[in-house]
Amino acid sequence: MAKLSSSSSTTSDAKALFQTLRSAYSATPINLKIIDLYVIFAILTALIQVVYMALVGSFPFNSFLSGVLSCVGTAVLAVCLRIQVNKENKEFKDLPPERAFADFVLCNLVLHLVIMNFLG
Amino acid sequence: MANFSIFFFTSILLLPLLCQSFSTANPTDKRILVLLDDLAIKSSHSIFFKSLQQRGFKLDFKLADDPKISLHRYGQYLYDGLILFSPSINKFGGSFDLASVLEFVDSGHDLILAADSSASDLIREIANECGADFDEDSSAMVIDHTSYAVSNSEGDHTLIASDDFINSNVILGSKMIEAPVLFKGIGHTLNPVNSQVLKVLSASSSAYSANPETKFTSPPSLTGSRISLVSVVQARNNARILISGSLDLFSNRLFRSGVQMAGSLTKYPKSGNEQFATELSKWVFHERGHLKAVNVRHNKVGETDEPAMYRINDDLEYFVEIYEWSGTSWEPYVSDDVQVQFYMMSPYVLKTISADQKGLYYTSFKVPDVYGVFQFKVEYHRLGYTSLNLAKQIPVRPFRHNEYERFLTAAFPYYGSSFSTMAGFFVFTIIYLYNK
Repeated sequence: MAKLSSSSSTTSDAKALFQTLRSAYSATPINLKIIDLYVIFAILTALIQVVYMALVGSFPFNSFLSGVLSCVGTAVLAVCLRIQVNKENKEFKDLPPERAFADFVLCNLVLHLVIMNFLG
Repeated sequence: MANFSIFFFTSILLLPLLCQSFSTANPTDKRILVLLDDLAIKSSHSIFFKSLQQRGFKLDFKLADDPKISLHRYGQYLYDGLILFSPSINKFGGSFDLASVLEFVDSGHDLILAADSSASDLIREIANECGADFDEDSSAMVIDHTSYAVSNSEGDHTLIASDDFINSNVILGSKMIEAPVLFKGIGHTLNPVNSQVLKVLSASSSAYSANPETKFTSPPSLTGSRISLVSVVQARNNARILISGSLDLFSNRLFRSGVQMAGSLTKYPKSGNEQFATELSKWVFHERGHLKAVNVRHNKVGETDEPAMYRINDDLEYFVEIYEWSGTSWEPYVSDDVQVQFYMMSPYVLKTISADQKGLYYTSFKVPDVYGVFQFKVEYHRLGYTSLNLAKQIPVRPFRHNEYERFLTAAFPYYGSSFSTMAGFFVFTIIYLYNK
């Protein structure tokens, strides 16, 4: 009896946790949410490629690497942008968000230049 | 003056013939120096010498202590072969000595050495340098009480009959030697580590080496089939040496004598000595078993020119022609065990090359997926044949940057993901900038 009540209490605890997380996340500014969505898209694409490689073998290995690294690089750069434009990070108080976005765009151009060269 | 001009004119006419005699295309020896203890040997061994002369050899008989012996003049050897039928000589005449015999062999010339129970230290030393150790006891002879040659008198069984030949058609000729070979002389042993020296005629397992006139004080040092009666050496430079413990083996008396082995009812009217000695001398003087490889070439499949370098994974063809000297002409040598290696530090490809009836060997293979400086190597070492060592260097390069395959179907998902990330970046930028 005691066991049952304890297990039902964990489920309710988990539910409570998720609700808190969701309500906290809904308070997140919309531009950060866009970045999150972008990161999820990149990670999913990388996962799909890893599964494909596991199925057909690693033959054009350079192509595989450039495909996966473009996704990983995109995700990493997007996370960096998210840290820099987040108002709650006091560390980047002095850095204007326009400057952060320009850095992000420049880094992405360099990343895709490298990826295009390594792809073939 | 007229005389002189006629002489001059004929010598110019003869010049091509003279040049021919120095041609290296003919591996058979032509001029042979025969050193004898005693000029009587010339008549007592005349059948053997005559068979050599009939095959075109020019024999130059000299006494071994003749002070005028010289092997070379003006840096050129005067002889292609040397026959030492002088077992008891202690010191050669002139400037000829042990070192000059060895030098003669080291420069690729051939040697026949026969000893007997009177063999001197000098002869033993020459044999020793060639890889055969004669029994050190100077009074010892090979004795065999079970496979001796039956004769009228009981004797001391030092005239032995042996038919334990080496199993090689190259060395002993394709015709089997039916009758046993008569042997009277001293035995020798071979260093088992030395792979250049071969036992051609070995004693039976009941033979031993001892002084026939005295009783044993200690067991004989050489016994059984370890004793070699006649051996041959083929040096790494393809010089050939015959070492026989019996000079009598080549004599007219034993050539002509009939033979019956003890314990056997078959009586042969003629011993195997003549055939044995003749065939062996053919081998020693390069009338048989001398190979040459010519026209080594290789090309890409579908091309005929030899490229300066190959690319990894190219398909190539390799050709070589191998001929055997038959004593008068080069005959195609057809064998199924010639192999070629594609070699860089270790063989990457090892293939047996097959021959057609004209002695043209051909194979094709794929260059391995490794680049570097390779060699085509043929290393052919067969019992009795001269060794072939061919090496031809060829570099192998990797693909050039524009020789790789492009737009592989298998890589389409990777291309797609790269471009979709770029498109995603573009879309993200617009949404991020205009969502205010």
